[in-house]
Amino acid sequence: MDLGRNTRAVPALIALAVALVVTVIAAIALGAVRVPAAEVVAAIGRGLTGQAGGMADTLIVGIRLPRVLLAALVGAALAVAGCIFQALFRNPLADPYILGVSSGAGLGAVLALTATATVTGVRFGAVPAAAFVGALLTLMLVVRLASLRGRLDTVSLLLAGVAVSYTLAALTSFVQVFAREQMATLVFWMMGGLGAASWPYIAVVGPMTAVGGVAAIAMGRELNLMLLGDERAGQLGLDVERFKRVSLLVASLLTAAAVAVAGLIGFVGLMVPHMVRLVVGPDHRVLVPASMLGGAIMLVVSDLIARTILAPVEIPVGIVTAIAGGPFFVWLLVRGERR
Amino acid sequence: MSAETPLLSFSAADVGYGSVRILAEVDLAVSPGEVVGLIGPNGAGKSTLLRAVTGDSDLLSGGLALGGHQIASLSARDRARVVAVVPQTVSAAFSFPGAEFVAMARHPHLPRFASLGEADVAAVERAMELTDTTHLAQRAVDELSGGDLQRLAFAQALAAEPQLLLLDEPTSHLDLNHRLQVLDLTRDLADSGLAVLAVFHDLDMAARYSDRIAVVAGGRVAPAAPPADVITAETLHRVFSVRAVVGVEPVTGAVSVTPVMREGARATARPGRVLVIGGAGSAAPLMRRLVREGWEVTAGALNAGDADATLATALGIEFAEIPPFAPMDAEAAIKVATLAEAADAIVVSQVPFGHGNVDNLLVAVRAGKPVVLVGPIEGRDFAGGAAASYWVEALTGGAVAVANVDETVAALAAAVLVGDADAGGQPE
Repeated sequence: MDLGRNTRAVPALIALAVALVVTVIAAIALGAVRVPAAEVVAAIGRGLTGQAGGMADTLIVGIRLPRVLLAALVGAALAVAGCIFQALFRNPLADPYILGVSSGAGLGAVLALTATATVTGVRFGAVPAAAFVGALLTLMLVVRLASLRGRLDTVSLLLAGVAVSYTLAALTSFVQVFAREQMATLVFWMMGGLGAASWPYIAVVGPMTAVGGVAAIAMGRELNLMLLGDERAGQLGLDVERFKRVSLLVASLLTAAAVAVAGLIGFVGLMVPHMVRLVVGPDHRVLVPASMLGGAIMLVVSDLIARTILAPVEIPVGIVTAIAGGPFFVWLLVRGERR
Repeated sequence: MSAETPLLSFSAADVGYGSVRILAEVDLAVSPGEVVGLIGPNGAGKSTLLRAVTGDSDLLSGGLALGGHQIASLSARDRARVVAVVPQTVSAAFSFPGAEFVAMARHPHLPRFASLGEADVAAVERAMELTDTTHLAQRAVDELSGGDLQRLAFAQALAAEPQLLLLDEPTSHLDLNHRLQVLDLTRDLADSGLAVLAVFHDLDMAARYSDRIAVVAGGRVAPAAPPADVITAETLHRVFSVRAVVGVEPVTGAVSVTPVMREGARATARPGRVLVIGGAGSAAPLMRRLVREGWEVTAGALNAGDADATLATALGIEFAEIPPFAPMDAEAAIKVATLAEAADAIVVSQVPFGHGNVDNLLVAVRAGKPVVLVGPIEGRDFAGGAAASYWVEALTGGAVAVANVDETVAALAAAVLVGDADAGGQPE
C-alpha cells in the first residue's frame, strides 16, 4: 500500500515547475521587441547582481520581468483561492469571481484608489487592505444570503453570488462616475490588466500570495476532509466552523492580493483547479501547490496573449481569461448535468 | 457485559437541535467491551442520540461524558481520537483512492505538517484487512457501490483506532454476507474491549449482536436491558404498533421476531364478534383475515406453544390457554363457554379432534349461536366418533358447512347480519 505517496504527484509538480520557468522566460522574450531567451536569462542574472544597464536590460528587468512575475503571482493567488472555495463549498463551480468576492475586493480597491488619489505612497498599503476588507465582507454576505433558506446548496450560492456581484459592480461604477478624472484608469483596471505592473506592486502582492499560498498548502489535509461534508469532517476530528473561518480568511486574502493589483480577472480560479485535478487527482496536499503553479502559468500565457495578439494595442488580460473561461464554465455545467 | 466504568454516559440528558428537544432525560451508559443497541420507530431520535456524541446534535441540558470528561470540554480532535462513527449514508463526491479515503481517519492523530507514519499506515492496513476491503485500496471511491463504500466507511472508522464506535444503521446498504461480516467484526472488537453504541432497524440483528438494548420512542430512551427482556410482543406492539411473534431462533439461540400484522392494517369497521375453534395451526389464516377485517376475534382452548396459540397471543386474541399437550380441563371448558356466550357467531376450523380437545366442539355446538363448520369431519375424528356426532348435531341445528376461508368469512357475515335483523325486530 503506497499510502500518502501519490505516484503522479511528484512528476506532475516537477513538470509544472519546469513549465512555469519556461513560460516565464518565453513571456519575457516575446513582445513588441523580441529578445533571445539566452539574453533574457543573462539580463536577469545581471539584474540580480545589480549590474543591469542599457536599453535591453531596462526592458527586461525593469518592464517585462515585473509584469510577468506579477501575472504569475496573481494567477497563483486566484487559482489557490479557487481551490479553497471549491473544497469548502464542495462545489466545482465556486471561484472568487462567481461568488462575488472579486467584485467586493474590487469595490474596496476602487474606493481606496479614489480616496487616496493624490497620495501615491499610501496606495500600495491602502488598496490591498481595502480590497481584503471588501472581499471578506462580500463573502460573509454571500454565504449568509445563500444559507437563508437552510442548506448552503449550489444553486443558492451561485444566485447569491451573482446578485451580490451585480450590486457591487453597480456601486463600483457609481464611485467611478464621481471620480471623473480617474475614470479611464479605473475602468481599465476593473477589466483586469497587468499594464501598470512594477516592482512596488510585486512587493505588495508577493508577500500576500506567499502567506496565503503557504497557509493553503498547510491546510491540504483539512481541505480533503471538507470534501467528505461538514458533518463527516467534524466526526473525523476537524473543528469545522473554525477551519471555515480561517480558510475563508486565507482565500479572501489571496483574492484581495490579486484584485488590488490586477483588477477583476475571472475564471482563473475556476478553470485551473479543475484542469489540475484531472491530472493529479483530488488530494489537496498536491492539488494546492499544483494549482499554484498552474495558475501562474495560465495567467502568464494569458497576459502574453493580451499584449501581443493586437500589438501594439494591449487588451486587458481579464478579457482573455473570460473568453477562454466562459465556454469552459458552460462545459462544466453541461458535464455536471449529464452525470 | 462489563463491570468497568462507562466510557460514554448520558445522565439526565436532553438532546435535540437548537431549541427543539427530541429526547428528554436520557440515562444511558456504554462500557468498554459491550454492544448497546438502540431500536425504535423511524424519527424517534435514535440517530439524534448518537449524533449528540459528535456534536452533530445539541445537548440541551444534563450531562454527556466521554471517558470522564464532559463532551463540551473536548476539542473535535481529542474526541475523534476516542470516538469513531460509521454513518448511515456515506457520500464520496471526489475520486480519492480507497486507501487514502480510509487514511483520512488518521487526521486527529497527526500533527499539522506530518505525513502518515508507520503506525498510521499500519492502522489503515489493519482496518482494511479486518473489513476485507484491501482490494479496494486503489479504487476511486466515487466509483464504488453503496455497499463497498459503506464497508470502506467502516474501515475508515476503525482506522482511527477508537475506543468507542458509533454505528448508525451500519449495514443498510450491505448484502446478507457482508451484513454478518460487519456485525461479527463489531462483536469481536467489542469482545476485545471496544465500546459500541449502535442503531439497528433489524430487530433480529439487534437481538443477536447487542448485550443490552434500549428502546427509543416517544421522546424517551427506556433503560437498556438484555435483548430477551426488551424485545417482547408487548414492546413491539407498544413501540412499533406491530403485532409480532417473538420466539427464539433455534440455530443462533437469539431472540427472533416475526412480524404478523401492522396495527394500521386493521379495518375500522367492526362487523361482529366471532369465536374461532382451532388448533395445530388450522385457524391461523382465518384469524389473521378476521382480525384484519376488523372482527373482534376470540379463540377456544389452545395448547401453549401451538401455532394457533402463538399467533393468537401476537394478535392480542383472547383464548383459553391450556398447558402443552394437556387435555382441556373444566376450567378451560367454562372459559370457552363464556367466550361463546359473548360471540355473535362461532367458527370451527379444520382441526383434528381427539379426546383432549373435543370439548371445544361440544361447547361450540351447544352454545346456541350461529355456527360455521369448515371442511368435512371425515378423517379427523380421533375421539372415537364423538366429534362426528357433534358435527351432525350442529348441521341438524342449522350450522353452515363451508370449504375455505373466503366462504367462512361470507358465511360469518351472513350469520351476523341475520342476528342483527333478529335483534332489530324485537322491542327494546
